Amino acid sequence: MNTGRSVARTGRSALGILVALLAIAGPTAAQTVRIGAPLALTGGLADEGKKQQVAYDLWAKRVNAAGGMTVGAKKLKVEIVSYDYQTNEQRASQIAEKLITQDKVDFLTAPFGSGHTKVVAGVAERYGVPVVASVASSESVFNQGFRNLFGTLAPNAGLTDGLVRLVAKQLPATRRIAVLGREDVFPKSMAAAMVDAAKRGTLEVVYNELYPVGSMDFSAPLAKIKSLKPDWIFVAGYTKDLVLARKQMADLGVSAPVVTMVTGPAYREFAEALGPLAEGVTSATWWVPALAFRSDDVFGTTQAFTADFQAREKGEPDYVHASAAAALVALQKAVEKAGTLDKAKVRDALAALDIVTFYGPIRFSPNGMNAGRDLPIIQVQGGKAVVLQPEALKQGTLRPMK
Amino acid sequence: MSALYAQVLLNGLMLGALYACIAVGFSLVWGVLNVISMMHGSFVILAGYLTCAAFTGAGIHPFAALVPVALLLLLLGYFLQLGLINRVVSQPVLTTLTLTFGLDMILYNLMNVWFEATPRRVTLDLGRLEFGEVVLPLDRAAAMVLALAMTGLLYVILRGSRLGRAIVAVRMDRDAAALMGIRVPRVYAATFGLGAMMAGACGALLALVYPITTNVTGQLLGKAFIVCVIGGLGTVPGALAGGLVLGLVESFGGHWFGPQVAPLLGFALMLVLLAVKPTGLFGQRGYE
Repeated sequence: MNTGRSVARTGRSALGILVALLAIAGPTAAQTVRIGAPLALTGGLADEGKKQQVAYDLWAKRVNAAGGMTVGAKKLKVEIVSYDYQTNEQRASQIAEKLITQDKVDFLTAPFGSGHTKVVAGVAERYGVPVVASVASSESVFNQGFRNLFGTLAPNAGLTDGLVRLVAKQLPATRRIAVLGREDVFPKSMAAAMVDAAKRGTLEVVYNELYPVGSMDFSAPLAKIKSLKPDWIFVAGYTKDLVLARKQMADLGVSAPVVTMVTGPAYREFAEALGPLAEGVTSATWWVPALAFRSDDVFGTTQAFTADFQAREKGEPDYVHASAAAALVALQKAVEKAGTLDKAKVRDALAALDIVTFYGPIRFSPNGMNAGRDLPIIQVQGGKAVVLQPEALKQGTLRPMK
Repeated sequence: MSALYAQVLLNGLMLGALYACIAVGFSLVWGVLNVISMMHGSFVILAGYLTCAAFTGAGIHPFAALVPVALLLLLLGYFLQLGLINRVVSQPVLTTLTLTFGLDMILYNLMNVWFEATPRRVTLDLGRLEFGEVVLPLDRAAAMVLALAMTGLLYVILRGSRLGRAIVAVRMDRDAAALMGIRVPRVYAATFGLGAMMAGACGALLALVYPITTNVTGQLLGKAFIVCVIGGLGTVPGALAGGLVLGLVESFGGHWFGPQVAPLLGFALMLVLLAVKPTGLFGQRGYE
């Protein structure tokens, strides 16, 4: 008797919940395009995660202000559904799963960095959800056969080849290069790309070592590099490591005519933390605000994006901001071309995309990476990152370090 | 070549002094309270941030900021122990570990919100002394001297003051100390405060030579852990010896076998010591 009533009650309430869910889910699912974003808003990558969040928001505001995204005959508003994965790889994967299965997002964005992008792309691949990745540039992420992963950064080799060409042209006496990289997905692949590029460019690689992720001191490798007297010192790592490496180079009197730190000077924080020591450090990057692209996307021009950014944040945007917004621009263009939110069709449209955006050209190679182009090379001069290349945007010429 | 080895030796000593400074407060708390303070790395970074803020905001030199920052951390540590950790301090070590782990997460994320995780540094460079091929960076050398001085001061406090004798008494036998009229909870709070103070002094020095970011709190804690195991718990000379040994091992290891292998050697040494002499170089039996 009692049991019967409770079963009936459960049945009724389940039905009630179902009806309520249909009432909520029905109309909203038809009215907005939902894009899932696992973001590192706390933990070690919190600053980077916030950069992505700001860029996604700038894009969403622009699109919604213009009435929404055109999907077939309709204009649909866009909504970013984001959760903090606390810079925790396992949680990133759980959140990607939750976004797909519970929040029923139409598409996904990948978090910051090659490592976490790989994790999220793996989950999305299982469910056939297209993922746009804004901050992953290592081939080791894109050679996993993920059909649904599309990244707006060009491959690392695009950065190193340009550097070698520039240095060979302007400082032809450069012969010996020392390469030090962090044992981590992106910097390791960057160091390897540099060694390859150096060999192709007939440089002699006199030092080629990796340092482990937890390194708190560079005096041992730097003392060794000093004794080898290289013409070019190349360090690949994240900002904290690069700041320490540059500081210890000064401490130990280690110097070379060319000092490159990837991607140090691309971030405003690098020069801020180093002060005068940042002077003369070169790097290659994917985007700088000095670029001047015209496009028919929601931003229209590189300048409009920068202005939008500056109306809201202090300072200038860096490549992380631009690439994050560009990833969503690419997704929008693909949806508009496909004329539907169907995941497989949008995936095909992304694969066939060939557009110019405020960020630059976007055309995905078969592995999903944005095809290389003439990437900017920068040097810190007078406390600011100055563009040395491409020729059309040149703000200064390469100066040897003192 | 001998100049290169002199440089490697010097680098190892300077790194070691920094490690000793990071570890000494951690070792004190672990040795006396039997609390593995997971907050230690965050305390160091908090002090680093405060020092950076004092420098960029008011132009205060890190050496001048050292004393006030260390005192602030002393207060923070004292009241944390008195108000919170004392409630569970006699529980098994896993309970206090979990509590400090939770507190660390709170502090860590508060710092991310207040200061952002972006690495920052006091952009003062004191230059360097050169002896032929061998180079001595002055700010690291000054940091080393101050680290040694602070460690010495702690040693004097423990040996010479009433409070220090009380701390040592509580470490030796908690119950007997209580019977002798020592107010154990207060001594615990003072000890935790002193540990935080050392973290504070170390953070102020670190701000001059190392980029301050929340990203490294775990690494600092890891180094403190190894130093304690190598040197022995709860003793100032132990932390000093452990730090110097680790610094030298990493410096020479990095030179001979490449930077990738250096941290591995520290852990290998720790394992060997655990097997051969579990009390560490200076530890006393019964306090491991």
